[in-house]
Amino acid sequence: MALTSANNYFEDFEVGQKIRHARGTTIDEVENQLLTKLVMNTAQGHWNEDSMSKSPYGQRLVFGFITASMVIGLATQDTAENAIKELGLNNLKFKKPVFHGDTVYAYTQVLAKEDTGEGGVVTFKHWGLNQKKAVVFEGERQVLIKKRGEGEA
Amino acid sequence: MSEPDFSTFPLWERGNQFEDFEVDQVFEHHWGRTLTAGDAMLFSSIALRYCPLYVNAEYAKSEGHRDRVVDPMLVLATVIGLSVEDLSEVGGPFLGVNEVEFGAYVYPNDTITCVSEVIDKRESASRPDTGIVTWGTCAKNQSGDVVVKYQRTNFVAKRSRHDGPHQR
Repeated sequence: MALTSANNYFEDFEVGQKIRHARGTTIDEVENQLLTKLVMNTAQGHWNEDSMSKSPYGQRLVFGFITASMVIGLATQDTAENAIKELGLNNLKFKKPVFHGDTVYAYTQVLAKEDTGEGGVVTFKHWGLNQKKAVVFEGERQVLIKKRGEGEA
Repeated sequence: MSEPDFSTFPLWERGNQFEDFEVDQVFEHHWGRTLTAGDAMLFSSIALRYCPLYVNAEYAKSEGHRDRVVDPMLVLATVIGLSVEDLSEVGGPFLGVNEVEFGAYVYPNDTITCVSEVIDKRESASRPDTGIVTWGTCAKNQSGDVVVKYQRTNFVAKRSRHDGPHQR
């Protein structure tokens, strides 16, 4: 019985491969208020409804990095369950504001892969789409992923 | 005793605006943050980070770690969070985050501190009341090992602007 899936080792990814991830998540108080405050982001635009109700947005904005974390989170089981190390991120873009109550879905394409011996580095491009199918976030991510060992399924 | 006239209380301002930044200026960000096992499990669970390195100590040990690995997305989010007051609290939205490199693994109860340097500042062609600033940020653990570094670019409001999202 394995703790991780058998189909997301380094060998399983192909350059160009497209993935629509299984789950979406609504971003609410727990995701934005709690996590934004947990990481000590002092910008009250993410957690002061009264002040933001008087802004051009009319309501609190979700902290962009929480949106990024949720989109990458939605992609994590498929792309990093067998990670050795998440190496880095690049070209993160926050394309539309996200508000409480919005729902995000994650899409991924494999941009590159490189065998590094004990494992291999896979470069992913991730997109986060809201409930209207508009891209709210995109970014690239490099993960060092295990190879399937001898005897593993 | 009657209540005081609160309109006479001066605002204790926080944060910097476009005019406050100069290229090569360095900010040592406030507080630092010890990332506890609780912080890490809470973040990884809510952010759906389904990788056993982050949520299963025995699995992490079997992979050669001394404890669960603290989710690098939590590390990065915390560093950005600690940098917000100095860099972007009264400024405006993210334009992008680039060249994020995760360094040493972070374990529960490691303490993270971070420093940023202004790399670039320029005017915004589309928004005359706003500029664009790029910072390089580096975060280290208590032993001085780099845990993450990255570049971040934001719109930053000028002092002349009064309709921004973070107006007070």
